[in-house]
Amino acid sequence: MRKGEYLGNFDLMLLLALQRLGDDAYGVTIARELEEQTGREVVVASVYATLERLQERGLVVSRLGESTPERGGRAKRYFRITGAGIREVREARRCLMNLWKGLPQLKGEKA
Amino acid sequence: MTSKQPPSLTTWMLKHFGSGPNNDAVLGDLAEQYVQNGSARWYRRQALKAIWVSLFREIRAHKGSAVVALLTGWVLWTFNVTSIFPLITPYFFNVNPDGPTIGVAILLSDPIGSVLTVLSAPVRLHAALNQPFSFAFAVALPFVAWALIGGLVAIIANLHLEANQTGIPARAKLTIGFHRDRQTAAVFLFAGSTLLLNLFLTGYFVFHLQMLVHGPSQEWSSAFGHLAAYVAASIVGIFLGGTLMGGLLHDKSTVVRN
Repeated sequence: MRKGEYLGNFDLMLLLALQRLGDDAYGVTIARELEEQTGREVVVASVYATLERLQERGLVVSRLGESTPERGGRAKRYFRITGAGIREVREARRCLMNLWKGLPQLKGEKA
Repeated sequence: MTSKQPPSLTTWMLKHFGSGPNNDAVLGDLAEQYVQNGSARWYRRQALKAIWVSLFREIRAHKGSAVVALLTGWVLWTFNVTSIFPLITPYFFNVNPDGPTIGVAILLSDPIGSVLTVLSAPVRLHAALNQPFSFAFAVALPFVAWALIGGLVAIIANLHLEANQTGIPARAKLTIGFHRDRQTAAVFLFAGSTLLLNLFLTGYFVFHLQMLVHGPSQEWSSAFGHLAAYVAASIVGIFLGGTLMGGLLHDKSTVVRN
């Protein structure tokens, strides 16, 4: 990762989704996982655009998978988080936890 | 919609206007999701956003070639209205040979007026000359001109400097290769800039036109109608030229590969 470059919110969510999905992480399952966990609609193309960027940074790798008739014969593209990606997620968690520590309770949050 | 085939027009649009290395995977994912949720509305929304996201990403990834293609398009159009259109004007309008020379004024002191002049000269000239509107001059000819320029923009987006194997910059050569993604993004960018400039300048255009109009025959609605026809012709022309040129380049690259 380039110096001073942080993971964005969506970057982090995607990397976490990849970890949760393991070997079954491709566009449809990633979008579904994010929608289930966040309750918001996810644009499939945004998932790919972000994963492409993370791939350029060496945080994820991809491979072409099988094609099925329901996909119109088009191959799936599977993604997997790399060692560097896992380190980045850990680092992001550490930073966020540090920032979170000692904060007063947020408005509307239950004790 | 009960059929399990996704909306065909939307699929066609995503296939042809979507760009980026993952466009095929996105098409497959949307088709797979569509089979499960059956919502044509969801499919259309996702496909249109996919076109937008992929174009934006492609332009950002290849800013240089996008800017060069855009500038080339505007320089060519400016050359067209300043050099070619004045030559053909006498064939469409009754111009007094002893009168002032017909031309397009570009003034640094009036940048907005100059942009307006360059952008919409063909559709404004009849009013300036106090003559009837000519569809051939204001819509048909510009359509051909914009189509040619759209094609050239597509070619420019395909040009790139390729260093030879020795890696010596001085011996780098200009080559043409097929980059569908870059080309789609450049043509969209050029068409989008044309549309946006027209939208921004519409009010100014109509006001300016009213200043030039003599007599009651010219109505506001017809001025808008002429402008709308001209703008539609320019946008369709750019897309048509860019798409046709893209197809030709693609065919050529296939022949070379074989």
